[in-house]
Amino acid sequence: QLLNISSARVQTARCSAPLGCTAHARYSSNPQLHSAVPADDLLLSQSCVKRLAEILDKGQYLRIAVEGGGCSGFQYKFLVDAVRNEDDRVFEKNGVGIIIDVDSLEFVKGSTVDFSQELIRSSFQVLKNPQAEHGCSCGSSFSVKL
Amino acid sequence: VSRRKILPTRAALTLTPSAVDKVIQLLQNKPEYIGLKVGVRTRGCNGLTYTLDYTKEKDKSDEEVLQDGARVFIEKKAQLTLLGTEMDFVETKLSSEFVFNNPNIKGTCGCGESFNM
Repeated sequence: QLLNISSARVQTARCSAPLGCTAHARYSSNPQLHSAVPADDLLLSQSCVKRLAEILDKGQYLRIAVEGGGCSGFQYKFLVDAVRNEDDRVFEKNGVGIIIDVDSLEFVKGSTVDFSQELIRSSFQVLKNPQAEHGCSCGSSFSVKL
Repeated sequence: VSRRKILPTRAALTLTPSAVDKVIQLLQNKPEYIGLKVGVRTRGCNGLTYTLDYTKEKDKSDEEVLQDGARVFIEKKAQLTLLGTEMDFVETKLSSEFVFNNPNIKGTCGCGESFNM
């Protein structure tokens, strides 16, 4: 039954606002937001999708996990994983997928996963997390709103 | 009175081979920039963080580090902070970043971006 729920909520690859999509395609810091997306989903930015398409082999996913640690209490972990567990949710877009276990999803639902590229570093980041009170400047650690 | 020996000045910043390659690659098709500039800024949970930018000109007070064809400038404010630091470039599937191995720092933030002296 869990699988049914997850597949029903998988994001469609289609972009509802074509103009907005092209405008934001180049800059990773501007992931588009669709008001139509349910609040307990994860959004994938264009740059994230593009980068995942480059690095993931067939059958591989980007796994996101939330762990205790970091300077603000919780921190995001990113892994490449080929194993899908029973309690995982999958979010797909343009043929690439992110998996996240339901416990971690509670802490990040509604966020945007982005691949940010700067001169000094490029990395995956979780942006606009509605659950996060305030984060560390690096964005890898956050504390939860109570 | 014996003459003072002239010691070779130690580079304020050393680059690892991977950092040299990356700096050269970054500047390859950008003739308008003469190098990269490293600085520090007050930010982050632990006080300071590194900044990295393209630069078009050398300021008077900048320290120039030229290693194997890679040119990096150090901002005046960052020179003391960075003295003896090794600049490395680490690339994995999920991230790629310049890492500064700084012998002067006392502590870092969990993510490694922010530090104090």
